[in-house]
Amino acid sequence: MNIVGPEGKMIPALPDLFVWNEDQVQLMSAHCQSCDTYFFPAFHEQHRPGCSRQGVQKVLLNKNGILKSYTIQHYMPPLPFKTEGNITPYIIGLVEFPEGIQIAGIVKECPFHALKIGLSMEVVTFTLYRNEQGQEVVTWAFQPTDPIRDK
Amino acid sequence: MREVAIIGIGLHPWGKFPQKTFIDLGVEAVSKALVDAQIQWKEIETICSGIYIWGGNAGHLSGQYLASVFGETGIPIVNVYNACATGASAMRMATMSIASGQVDVALAVGMDVSPEGFLGAKSDDPKQDRDVLRWRMVGMPNPIYWAIECRKRMEKYGTTEEDLARVKVLLSKYGAQNPNSRYKKIYTMEEVLSSKMVSDPLRLYEICATSDGAAAVILCAASKARQYTSKPITVAASTLGSALYGDPTLRISAISAPAKAEAPLLSESYSASQQAYKQAGIGPEDIDILELPDNSSWHYLQYLETCGFCGEGAAESMVREGQTQIGGRLPVCPSGGFASFGEAIGAQAAWQVAEVVMQLRGQCGSRQVADAKVGMAQTYGLMGNSGTTILKR
Ligand SMILES: [Zn+2]
Repeated sequence: MNIVGPEGKMIPALPDLFVWNEDQVQLMSAHCQSCDTYFFPAFHEQHRPGCSRQGVQKVLLNKNGILKSYTIQHYMPPLPFKTEGNITPYIIGLVEFPEGIQIAGIVKECPFHALKIGLSMEVVTFTLYRNEQGQEVVTWAFQPTDPIRDK
Repeated sequence: MREVAIIGIGLHPWGKFPQKTFIDLGVEAVSKALVDAQIQWKEIETICSGIYIWGGNAGHLSGQYLASVFGETGIPIVNVYNACATGASAMRMATMSIASGQVDVALAVGMDVSPEGFLGAKSDDPKQDRDVLRWRMVGMPNPIYWAIECRKRMEKYGTTEEDLARVKVLLSKYGAQNPNSRYKKIYTMEEVLSSKMVSDPLRLYEICATSDGAAAVILCAASKARQYTSKPITVAASTLGSALYGDPTLRISAISAPAKAEAPLLSESYSASQQAYKQAGIGPEDIDILELPDNSSWHYLQYLETCGFCGEGAAESMVREGQTQIGGRLPVCPSGGFASFGEAIGAQAAWQVAEVVMQLRGQCGSRQVADAKVGMAQTYGLMGNSGTTILKR
């Protein structure tokens, strides 16, 4: 699986969180077969009390999920959040994946008026900034599965 | 276990004091508590002290630094770091030291100095400090977490923007009457509803500021309390709670939550308060005043449910009907709350205890709750830790 994207033009801001190829972006989770819990990030284990912790396997989550909550942020957070310029106002969404885990991320390509709990979302990348090598430093993000035409 | 009583409290007012150190703030609070308890420094037999993260190495040893000012006496000192529950942890440890019979007199103290604006990351080392993930990858300061939970609540129960604004309006009236508060302005609904949007749906006046402050509490074996004061306040419960597996809250610092709820929202605060009711042998219906952690208007509403003061989705109507006002069924934050004080993380739980003590002693003047006999101080639960204190006169 590609950690560095096609042609090496994009690199993740931090490793081991998501993967991508030409067709899709997927978040890297881990699943405990003993207590049936999914973790994100994969290395942040959160077992059910009493679990044997046997059989934890890395899994890629479904590329689609459902928006369960959101906010529109109007102030830039301090470092270490680094972007090319001020990106406010930006949307943070909480997306539920069919495996049974909710994950937070930036939402793009979604006009504010279209924000609605229950919206179908797809995992994509979001370019935070360009590094000195000219590569796009990216994070995971969500966008509506069906493109929304602005009113 | 022996019964424990509070015999003295002292506060440094909340605000921004860039010229002062956390030690300056702590010294003022402890000095006032010593005077309030009419006790000599040399009679203090143990210190439980805490501050959040901006005191550097001296902050990690805040109790020793305080002791050096008053004069070192060789007593056990424990420094606690437990995020929002730091002051509650100091309280619990001081209470246990006396209840167990180890000492007769203990000092619990919380202090803090905070930076301006959004609280930031502590480090930029994603390997050791997973908190870095939410900053670098998602851009999530604390109010975003509150806004995400608030949005869920609005969807589930129909909470309105007015419900959120009403909390600030109410608290600002009490804060204006409290000499120790940072903000004295009384706000109207229109002013709150036209304040800047920060993390939609939460507006500037619906989110607490970050403040400096300090609070000290002197505790004593109940059997000896009357040597010092005619109005000892009994510690009926002093507990800490941690989270339960399956808690659906998107907890500050985390970037994921379980889809299927198997525990209550804010389960750490649920755990702390349930333990406290059990320890005190009473229920939420027996509480006359409540200091809860109103980091935002959402917290105010949610904590009424989390701690069992109303059923699911009923907090909004409780507030609309005036039940949480002074004179209502359950006066909430007659101090003015974090809305009027701002949060001084390491100090606030001890401050909440001090506010409840003043109410139970009948020292609150124009914001006094008539005939308050039992009070409760409840902390928030950053990364799944929380504390509850129940006091009786
Ligand atoms: Zn497991």
